[in-house]
Amino acid sequence: MSVLLEVKNLKKHFPIHGGLFNRVVSQLKAVDDVSFVLEKGKTMGLVGESGCGKSTLGRAVLRLHEPTGGTVILDGIDITKLEPKALVDARRDMQIIFQDPYASLSPRRTIQQTLLEPLETHHIGTAESRQQKIEELLEIVGLRKHVLHRYPHEFSGGQRQRIGIARALTLEPKFIVADEAVSALDVSVQSQVLNLISNLQKKLGISFLFISHDLAVVQHISDDVGVMYLGRLVEKATATSLYKEPRHPYTKALLSAIPTPDPTTKNQRQILKGDVPSPLNPPSGCTFRTRCPEAMDICAKKAPLQVEVGSKNDPHWVACHLFELS
Amino acid sequence: MSIHMSSKKPLLSVRDLVVEFNTERGLVRAIDGISFDVMPGETMGLVGESGCGKSVTSLAILGLIPSPPGRITAGSIQLNGRELVGLPESEYRKIRGSEISMIFQEPMTALNPVFSIASQMTDVLSRHQKIRGKQAKNRAIEMLELVGIPSPDKRINEYPHQLSGGMRQRVMIAMALSCNPKLLLADEPTTALDVTIQAQVMEQIVKLQHELGTAVVLVTHDLGVVAESCQRALVMYAGRIVEQSPIIPLFKNPQHPYSAGLMASIPRIRADKIAELPTIPGTVPDLLHLPKGCRFAERCQFSDDRCHQEQPKNQTKDNREVACFHPCGEAS
Repeated sequence: MSVLLEVKNLKKHFPIHGGLFNRVVSQLKAVDDVSFVLEKGKTMGLVGESGCGKSTLGRAVLRLHEPTGGTVILDGIDITKLEPKALVDARRDMQIIFQDPYASLSPRRTIQQTLLEPLETHHIGTAESRQQKIEELLEIVGLRKHVLHRYPHEFSGGQRQRIGIARALTLEPKFIVADEAVSALDVSVQSQVLNLISNLQKKLGISFLFISHDLAVVQHISDDVGVMYLGRLVEKATATSLYKEPRHPYTKALLSAIPTPDPTTKNQRQILKGDVPSPLNPPSGCTFRTRCPEAMDICAKKAPLQVEVGSKNDPHWVACHLFELS
Repeated sequence: MSIHMSSKKPLLSVRDLVVEFNTERGLVRAIDGISFDVMPGETMGLVGESGCGKSVTSLAILGLIPSPPGRITAGSIQLNGRELVGLPESEYRKIRGSEISMIFQEPMTALNPVFSIASQMTDVLSRHQKIRGKQAKNRAIEMLELVGIPSPDKRINEYPHQLSGGMRQRVMIAMALSCNPKLLLADEPTTALDVTIQAQVMEQIVKLQHELGTAVVLVTHDLGVVAESCQRALVMYAGRIVEQSPIIPLFKNPQHPYSAGLMASIPRIRADKIAELPTIPGTVPDLLHLPKGCRFAERCQFSDDRCHQEQPKNQTKDNREVACFHPCGEAS
């Protein structure tokens, strides 16, 4: 398999202004030194709690947030160095599906106008072929073509999310960021949309960065999974390996916190104490140490390095001092 | 009628409740004839998808249906034998916060941002328990300690914006339980929280419920939370209760095809990945254009002509009630 997306040491810091002259007083490190590789036609899941920087990472990869440092290479092109005009062209290959299907579609535009816009912006095809294209797209996402002249408010949440997916597909991108794409939907509709996304991926060979706080959803859809905490990736592995053998204490706690829909098994829950610390003033060393049940002296002094704990066929790394020792 | 065999009297008894809303598009019946009991000290789940009427049910019990446009048009709600429907607002105010308490989904909007935690908590205590000043503050600090807030004597002087989401929800719980209510309505109490914080908050609710003997009605769309904390659950669909059952048989052997579909489509961590997630085809019907027969018939794989023509009645068997002509696990 060939590599489609390579993210190297990506950083996104937001300056915090304050004081007398509104100078920059500190930096909020929303994404700090994140690296990963995504292969063609694969999905990488990204999980973590609110405020851990997963959405910022998704946007920094697309340059919807200008990265502070690092590189993003999509299909051989370094996105972070592109001039504005070249970036517009590159955007054809990378799209995003947003969380809230109510807020991400313009209420004043019909579905037809919404879907035609990307094709017109990029001057693709003739008026006739564009029309044909969007009709095909609607069919792919499971809507009938008579909905083209309707407005977003006439649709249910699940249908709107299908329209959001169709819009992301209009330019035949190679890479899509799905930011909490099914989180606002009810379970019965959520599974319909998840099935649609995985079928589309099989058919069209698109790579996804699938951002979600729901570990069960991520397991179903992903080939690889990365776990984020306070702006950093703390563990990354194939989905199989991560769910079977989570190594990082944070991943273990996340997995054990999920309520199991089975009243007969009372699982031994390990409940994390406290909240995520403020990213403005993160703990020294390992940022998870303040909530970690296995924290040691060294955790306060030194940030842990990535340690490979998997095998060649089953790559799995973790950034935790517990594994650096052994 | 009651599915309880014990001779205990129900704490809350809802019978044939109907709630209607006047909308621009016409009269919507958000709840259409639901009946259930809540026993003292039990935890009951109320589950269903958006728009099924679960939140309207809890608002109706609290007498908080916005009117207009909403109205309870039929049925009764009895708390310890006392009829609540039609009670004047001044009487209802005495009940809310003391006999029935509530926790809402979004603790930021439920707490008043311009008052400190101390003043909001002592307000409740002075209104219902007639304790004031230092005594009320001490009681509030005690409650905050009970819900696991660190250094409660300092935290109590802070304002809602100074607390995290999980902490705010704990304050809500402390406030809701401060007058020893008999019934606590928790409407999606953990939906806005992260899983690790959700686990902390649910642990608190379950622990306090055991300690104080409060009955809890947990309104949620999360079946996982219900499985872990409730003894019994109601499943609602399009304004009706389609199934009510003790929790273990409900999850092991759901009888209504909708409950079964819902159970199957919950995303869960599986030992091995599956190719396709089970789904329920179609969408929830529009409450303005409800089908004549069973409301789930259109999406149901077992439906026949009778389902499309006639509304199924509740059938009771082994402590379970189901409104279906072809319950799962039985020969039809």
